[in-house]
Amino acid sequence: MRLRIWRCLPILASLAIAPAVFAQQASGTITGTVTESGTSRPVANAQVFLPRTRQGGQTNDVGVFTIRNVAPGAVTVRVQMIGFEPVEKTVTVATGAVANVPVTLTRTAVALSEVVVTATGETRKREIGNSVATIDTAQVARQAASNPQEILAGSTPGVTVLANSGQPGAGGTIRLRGVNSVSQGNGPLIYVDGVRIYSGNTPNSGQGRQFVNPLNDIAAEDIDHIEVVEGPSATTLYGTEASGGVLQIFTKRGTEGQHWSASATAGFNNMGHVGPTSDPTGQGVNECRGPNLVNGAGVHYVDTTCPANGSWLHNGPVQRLDLSVRGGASSVNYFVSGTGNSEEGVLPVGGNRDQTLRANISFLATSALHLDVNSSIAHRRVTFVPDGNNAAGALLNLARGPGSGFRGTGCSSDPAVVCLVNDSLFLISSTNTTDHFTTGGTLTYQPTSKLSARVGLGYDNNNADIADIRPLGYILTPLGSYGETLWNQQLLSADASAQIRQPVGSRWVSTTSIGGQSFDSRLHSTSLSASNFAAPGTPVLTTGSTRTINSVSQQRVINAGLFGQEVIGWRDVAFLNLGLRVDGNSAFGKSFGLQRYPKASLSYVLSDESFWPIKSIESLKLRAALGESGKAPGAFDAVRTWNPVAANNGQPAFATGSIGNPDLGPERTRETELGFDASALNGRLGVSYTYYSAHTVGALIPIQQTPSLGFSGSQLENVGQLFNHGNTLQLTGYPIRGKNLELMTRLNVSTFASRAGDIGGQPITISTVQRTSVVEGLPVPSYYGKKILNPNAFADPDTVNDQFLGAVFPTKIISPNVSVRFWNRLTLDALGEWQLGGHNLNAIGYVDSNLQDWQPCYATQAKLKAFAAGNTAALNDVTALERAKCTLSSTARDLSFWVEDASFFKLRSVSLTFDLPRRLSLGSNNASLTFAGRNLFKQTSYDGTDPEVADQTDNTFSRRDYYVFPTYRTFLLTLRLGY
Amino acid sequence: MTLIAKSQMSLSRAAVPAVLLVVSAFCAACDLSVSNPGPVQDSQLNTPAALPPLVNGMSGDLAVALGTYLTREAIATDELTEAGNFTPDNFYAAGQIRPEDDITDWANLQSARWSAENGLARMKAVRGPAFETDTITPWAYLWAGFANRLLGENMCTAVIDGGPPESDSVYFIRAESLFTRAFTLGKTLKTTTVQNAALGGRASVRAWLGDWTGAAADAALVPTNFVFNAVFSTNTTRENNPLVSNTVSSRQVSVFGTVYAKSKADPRTPWDTVKTSAGGVQVGQNGSTPFFVQKKYTSLGSSVPLTKGTEMLLIRAEAALRTGDVAGAMSLINQERASSGLAALTATTASAAQTILQAERGAVLWLEGRRLWDLRRWQAAGTSTFLTGRATCLPVSSVEQGSNPNFHTP
Repeated sequence: MRLRIWRCLPILASLAIAPAVFAQQASGTITGTVTESGTSRPVANAQVFLPRTRQGGQTNDVGVFTIRNVAPGAVTVRVQMIGFEPVEKTVTVATGAVANVPVTLTRTAVALSEVVVTATGETRKREIGNSVATIDTAQVARQAASNPQEILAGSTPGVTVLANSGQPGAGGTIRLRGVNSVSQGNGPLIYVDGVRIYSGNTPNSGQGRQFVNPLNDIAAEDIDHIEVVEGPSATTLYGTEASGGVLQIFTKRGTEGQHWSASATAGFNNMGHVGPTSDPTGQGVNECRGPNLVNGAGVHYVDTTCPANGSWLHNGPVQRLDLSVRGGASSVNYFVSGTGNSEEGVLPVGGNRDQTLRANISFLATSALHLDVNSSIAHRRVTFVPDGNNAAGALLNLARGPGSGFRGTGCSSDPAVVCLVNDSLFLISSTNTTDHFTTGGTLTYQPTSKLSARVGLGYDNNNADIADIRPLGYILTPLGSYGETLWNQQLLSADASAQIRQPVGSRWVSTTSIGGQSFDSRLHSTSLSASNFAAPGTPVLTTGSTRTINSVSQQRVINAGLFGQEVIGWRDVAFLNLGLRVDGNSAFGKSFGLQRYPKASLSYVLSDESFWPIKSIESLKLRAALGESGKAPGAFDAVRTWNPVAANNGQPAFATGSIGNPDLGPERTRETELGFDASALNGRLGVSYTYYSAHTVGALIPIQQTPSLGFSGSQLENVGQLFNHGNTLQLTGYPIRGKNLELMTRLNVSTFASRAGDIGGQPITISTVQRTSVVEGLPVPSYYGKKILNPNAFADPDTVNDQFLGAVFPTKIISPNVSVRFWNRLTLDALGEWQLGGHNLNAIGYVDSNLQDWQPCYATQAKLKAFAAGNTAALNDVTALERAKCTLSSTARDLSFWVEDASFFKLRSVSLTFDLPRRLSLGSNNASLTFAGRNLFKQTSYDGTDPEVADQTDNTFSRRDYYVFPTYRTFLLTLRLGY
Repeated sequence: MTLIAKSQMSLSRAAVPAVLLVVSAFCAACDLSVSNPGPVQDSQLNTPAALPPLVNGMSGDLAVALGTYLTREAIATDELTEAGNFTPDNFYAAGQIRPEDDITDWANLQSARWSAENGLARMKAVRGPAFETDTITPWAYLWAGFANRLLGENMCTAVIDGGPPESDSVYFIRAESLFTRAFTLGKTLKTTTVQNAALGGRASVRAWLGDWTGAAADAALVPTNFVFNAVFSTNTTRENNPLVSNTVSSRQVSVFGTVYAKSKADPRTPWDTVKTSAGGVQVGQNGSTPFFVQKKYTSLGSSVPLTKGTEMLLIRAEAALRTGDVAGAMSLINQERASSGLAALTATTASAAQTILQAERGAVLWLEGRRLWDLRRWQAAGTSTFLTGRATCLPVSSVEQGSNPNFHTP
């Protein structure tokens, strides 16, 4: 028996046919313009709708909305926009007439009437006992963010985004509220317009050693807003898998009339100095010609293939085009958009091209029934530079100077000079071509304001074709090789829920929700390779005479769950929320039953009480929440398996797989959060603060198996305890709100403190070469290894093993954002981010210093040699840390010495936007020109290439900068037009 | 209008039941069990058809264990010189073998032993009396025997199936019994290869247990040209010979600096210099050690001998030498040399003959994972000093120590 999601189809179909029986009524029209108070500027993309019937849409670029086919009579119009206090107006509509409703919205730091989407449906923020951050993507355009990952960086407290690599198209690591799991990942679940999409990544490129994140297939220009739901106390009803939080992405909707928007961006990527500033060659990347090409041992090298300008770097062009149309008439609204991006990296190869197409259509069948169908297709092709821990890697070879594996001949008459041909590095073709299709339909039925019901189906399909080709004649494999991974991930999800809102007496309101969700996830991945090409030309797998099927993986996981929730409201001031989720999952062990996750929360809008004394603080909501969520183990973790292999000269055979554990269940994270949201000084100042504390029990910990019992490796067991707490604070200020000068400021502060409790009695090694472990009492995970006790003493290093060297992930993130608008036309916006307390393993320094090619070690190594030659005073001014890092002994060196503080500040974006006057607007209704720069400035004491990067083919619960290409800066000029 | 109102009302009433229906459809129709293809469940191996692949797996596990270990064994002894950057390898080369550096070797070798011994128990249970006459049965005994010998020759301590630490001779005792069973069944089935391989394996472990008479008797029954291999193949990556990747594809280890680099004349220890395209001497991955490539294994599918007739001649020679029969020993050594077309050597004293024997074993068993044991036992006997101040064997890995409760003091 299988999960029969398709059994729902007849029900859905019958519900979909139902609208056909309804006919149109006699009606009128509502229209109006939404403007901002203070500046009188039109507000684009504001949501305008009739709460009773859900008719409506969004304002166009000049703030105008129209709602047709409105039943005659008194009608309430609601206008809402993130960052503004929502407004409701009552208007009388007459048959055949147009009612004009001008609306003025007031900016506010904290809007308690704002509506957010939870697992049970739409809810006002005031009713929620958790913090839910909403990212207003009007900001996004100014920051020239090209994808959700860039939008999230520095956007809201509690979010950590690490870029991983400076390769265009490479995906980053995203975390909400730090780490709650050792083995099951800490990424959030992702919903797009209510459809759950695959929240993982594609496999890594073989040569680029980085992945593509399907989240980034959602075009930034299509996004209306993002809700960030952090922590298990808020995500309980999303069930197993949700302990890493939930990202809800909402794309733009249609509106009355027809409005076109277009934007065109041109710019370039540019790389600054690579690696330690004292190295004039910048790891052999910035400079590949001239007298500086000599290593610490005095070996000179010459690269005759170095480009004419003496550098491997160039400015990589960037182009983006977006075109969208939104419109609607009578009962259908649509938003259709297409985007195209093309971006080149800063090395001779490498880049990203993607195209997206989206169609969001809303059908208003009757005043009570509407259907939303949202579909998108994205195609992407990322070309990677060979990178990271890879003998063919660009940085690995360039940074090793004369130690490059790409050696040539005849560059010098001096036989001691090493000749290099590093341009061969760029002959490898390493691509990840992805296709991402998402579609979903949600049928909402709201016959009265008291009752609503929803049924949804979603389908998300990700394909990746990851190909690495070494051509015939390539130095390292002269006969050529081809590796290809064909990967497909499908996620089919279904959900249904109903909500009944019922007054109980005059002071109480009860809102009861019930529902269920299920998903069916299928992974199919095949990895193939071939080598020894018969002939030159563009190869395919069969061009190689030696052909291998490396691996085939087919995995299916199904999960189904039910939830119930009761919200009791008291005088619209206090709300008690009680909920329960029950889940079953195919990956749970056989002896493991259903899982129950309870939650409770309380919110109290203290400022609405008549006794509230501080009138300058116009709103204050106190909130408290307690809830649980979990993470399921992997598809094969519960069963003992053997892998079919070939052995004994190609004959069929078995080899031990996983040892299995029939008692395996999900890990369970229980979180408590307390906080408040306040708005003061007439919306000019907003404060949102949350303290959270999470405790994971039954944490899935990979326990090393006893090798003499046959199954080596590790087996997950529900044995661990993890603790994770922190604070998030958002301060928002609109101190100046004049026509000629507006100032908006925002400061996000987050702290993250994790600690391993009892984890089965012994430290868990996450990665030996990454010196990363989970150790009781230390942050999860930690760099752990050999510590120098006297780093600054002028003495030999005094070391001790098995010591804490630093937290892997940042422990504090501070991101300020300032936006100033002059004369209602010119906007200057800047977003910075400090990520503090994290560490990275500078494995470049470790290896290069051993090869005597790490510039910061040259002086020390000269002194070490002098000392060895008998100069007893040579080391008098060399510290123990310098001696340990720069040692010339192959057995005295240790990666632990290269764990470095990776705290950094980056100026994520700076932009200047000029709203063009009418005469310059090329006939459009509105036009603007934005000049933006991203990652223009970086400050860090980290000595590797970049504190944010890590080789993703290494263990990703740790970070190792092993010749990973650093992030670059980008300059962009964007023209936006609206018709 | 009335129709619409009625429809809305009925729909309104229907909404809650409809949702309940959908929700119950999710759960009533859902059996959350999924059968994923690919990995094979343990119980599915309990059929006669699964047993031949199980025995092939034993061969595969042994090859993986030996192949992975070969490079490190060679740099821990006098067979090859380290020319790479990997820290654990540099420690092996420096004669320091730490429990955190032999995690993979310990696990692979133990896995090879366990899969063969556990497989034998499974075969017995599945086949009942037919187990004794199955043609695959003696092969399983052979793989189990060689896995135990490999462990005994290289590990400082024996640990069996999560048990307590025991003397390393436990592996040899198990191996002797397993080889005896292989030989007996091979004889019944009239399989010469199995009999010779079992005799060769048993001869070696009998010698290591001190039974040189029994060893010489077994050795004398194995033909000089007999070779029994751990099986490597170009078929899949797992079947490849890793020493070839480490010397042909990359330059992790070099013949440079070893006793074998002094001459290219010995066909048993073939190697060559490698020139860069500029005509200079190629260097290893560490950028400094001149790279001389071993030529004993030239293909990723080159197999590695586990026992062979020439080793048998040397076991007999060593047994003779232990009784003071220098002439008898030299005669056997020269038989072995003649089989490779090499000129006879002469020695008149026991110590000169011992020196020749040690060099001959080095050449005959070069890069076969046997040298550390030879150097270790000769070190103990006082006839070799190479391992002075160096590790003589591999310690119980840190993972075994951490995960086996017998290693924790209560």
